[in-house]
Amino acid sequence: MFKHLFKLIWNKRKQNFLFLSEILVSFMVIFAVFSLLVFYYLNYIKPNGIEYEKVWSIQYSNPLKTSNVDSLETFYENVRRTIKALPQVQELSFSVSNYPYSNSHSTTGFTYKGKELSPIDNYMIEDDYHKVLGMRLLSGRWFNKEDKIGKKRNVVINSTLKQAMFGDAEAVGAVVGADNEKETWKVIGVVADVKASGDFLPAGKGFYKRLDSGAFGWIGTILIKVSPDADAAFESRLHKLLARTIQNSNLEIQHLEDMRDSTNEDTIIPMIICITVAGFLIINVALGLFGVLWYNISQRRGEIGLRRALGATGSSVSFQLVSESLMLATLSIIVGSFFALQFPLLNVFNVPTAVYIIALLLSIAFIYLLVIFCSLYPGKQAAAIHPAIALHEE
Amino acid sequence: MIRLQNIEKVYRTDTVETLAINGISLDIAKGEFLSIMGPSGCGKSTLLNIMGLLDEPSKGSIKIADQDITRFSDQQLAKFRNQKLGFIFQSYHLINDLQVLDNVELPLLYRAGSAKERRELATEALAKVGLSNRIKHFPTQLSGGQRQRVAIARAIVGRPQIILADEPTGNLDSAMGNEIMDILINLNKNDGTTIVMVTHDENMAHKTHRLVRLFDGSQVQ
Ligand SMILES: Nc1ncnc2c1ncn2[C@@H]1O[C@H](COP(=O)(O)OP(=O)(O)OP(=O)(O)O)[C@@H](O)[C@H]1O
Ligand SMILES: [Mg+2]
Repeated sequence: MFKHLFKLIWNKRKQNFLFLSEILVSFMVIFAVFSLLVFYYLNYIKPNGIEYEKVWSIQYSNPLKTSNVDSLETFYENVRRTIKALPQVQELSFSVSNYPYSNSHSTTGFTYKGKELSPIDNYMIEDDYHKVLGMRLLSGRWFNKEDKIGKKRNVVINSTLKQAMFGDAEAVGAVVGADNEKETWKVIGVVADVKASGDFLPAGKGFYKRLDSGAFGWIGTILIKVSPDADAAFESRLHKLLARTIQNSNLEIQHLEDMRDSTNEDTIIPMIICITVAGFLIINVALGLFGVLWYNISQRRGEIGLRRALGATGSSVSFQLVSESLMLATLSIIVGSFFALQFPLLNVFNVPTAVYIIALLLSIAFIYLLVIFCSLYPGKQAAAIHPAIALHEE
Repeated sequence: MIRLQNIEKVYRTDTVETLAINGISLDIAKGEFLSIMGPSGCGKSTLLNIMGLLDEPSKGSIKIADQDITRFSDQQLAKFRNQKLGFIFQSYHLINDLQVLDNVELPLLYRAGSAKERRELATEALAKVGLSNRIKHFPTQLSGGQRQRVAIARAIVGRPQIILADEPTGNLDSAMGNEIMDILINLNKNDGTTIVMVTHDENMAHKTHRLVRLFDGSQVQ
């Protein structure tokens, strides 16, 4: 029976062309949407890597005219002491502006032992940065006072970068740097990934370097962890205190929790638009398929009546029609999968292969369900065709 | 072989009620070749469809091959049609998207058997109707007489005990019609197949064992 049906749809390939291309197009659209969703989902289920609740960022502009390192250091040490003296402030760290959810990036990249590693997010932080953000150290140690002495070039890397460079081997103690340059760093610790661009996007590779005091002139961000009782009243007191301490500066306090929400929205809103558009398309395709199948059956009443006369039961007629649709869908899926597989093979978007494979399987299942859904009712109608009447008509 | 008792068939549409068959009783013996004649619209096709279990009578009972099929389910009817009956229609009813051989194999698809067996039986049936050299053709590439011979091959491929033919020569010229008629007569003679044939052609009818005339749903002879 399978071979028989295959011959039938093969000989009718011209008439079936519309059906085939309709399924092919929807398959590709579904595949694209599923790839995106699977990509977001696989990122979403990974931990954030930080505790963003009650973390505030203070943005300031440096009001000092001097570029003298000592006077800058003295000034900002005073700022640090003043803020830390507040009982609500539990932890504090200066940082460059590319802290999590800031939407700001500073990237570097290099080739290490022949492996291209760019882009790498380049974070410049202080010894207490990980405490403010509740980052998890996986091995080695975080920066401490000792790293200040001399010109030690130590670095903490995140788990993604560690995997890319070392795989499962030990990273702590290794000396890393670009193949073609003399500049090298010694890895002292590995931290868990931080999804700095929101819950739905990957953490990327992270390279954490210790700020030196000369940087105070330009960094512009202070991150603080405040206690649960730090409220709006406290925030306005803090703002006034800051205004007095860093005079003539543009000051802004933001909550990482809010920044995370707005970063996530940047992903979610286009995603919803995408799903809605695809949804409408699928509804259209479903109606189209339904129409094509319905029309098909009205065109084939004679054939159906004949099959009934020759010994087909009602259910074998509807089984035949559903099978034909599924076989046609299979042809489209084979062609579609060929195109879909080019994405992982050519690594078009630098997305893990697993994303495409899962999306492909989901798309295949979706198309089959769609086709079954659209052909069940026409198939049932076909089963109800009265053989005598159908044969009489022609 | 076929016993019809007091068959009545009423077609109801929204506005009219047509009494297509009005109390027909008919006994057809095993191996008999019977022809049915009558003016257009007198119920010949309806009667044949009822014998072929394609249509249910409104009243009356049918016994075919010693089985009372009145209480048969859809599945049992389908199986019965498949194994015991062969149909030939005036308009051939071939599937144009399938080659001749595949058209002939059609009834065998609805019973057990291997693809090889189907192929052999279909080839054999086509040889019987003299179409061995056309098996790869599509129906649209054949003449009317050739198409009707394909339909006959399809009707006999499953070795049915009964063949029901509704104006098998109606669309053909007399030479072609005679050729078809000869095939049917041979089937009846050599294989003992019971044949019921509706025809408009007196000459054809007189070649059969018995002639039944219908008028307005009733048997008049
Ligand atoms: N499905 C149907 N619905 C309503 N009336 C029908 C239906 N099929 C047949 N009839 C009516 O039943 C009567 C008998 O029809 P039938 O097709 O049996 O005639 P026939 O003797 O085969 O005629 P012909 O020689 O033209 O083929 C006709 O009056 C026809 O209008
Ligand atoms: Mg008729």
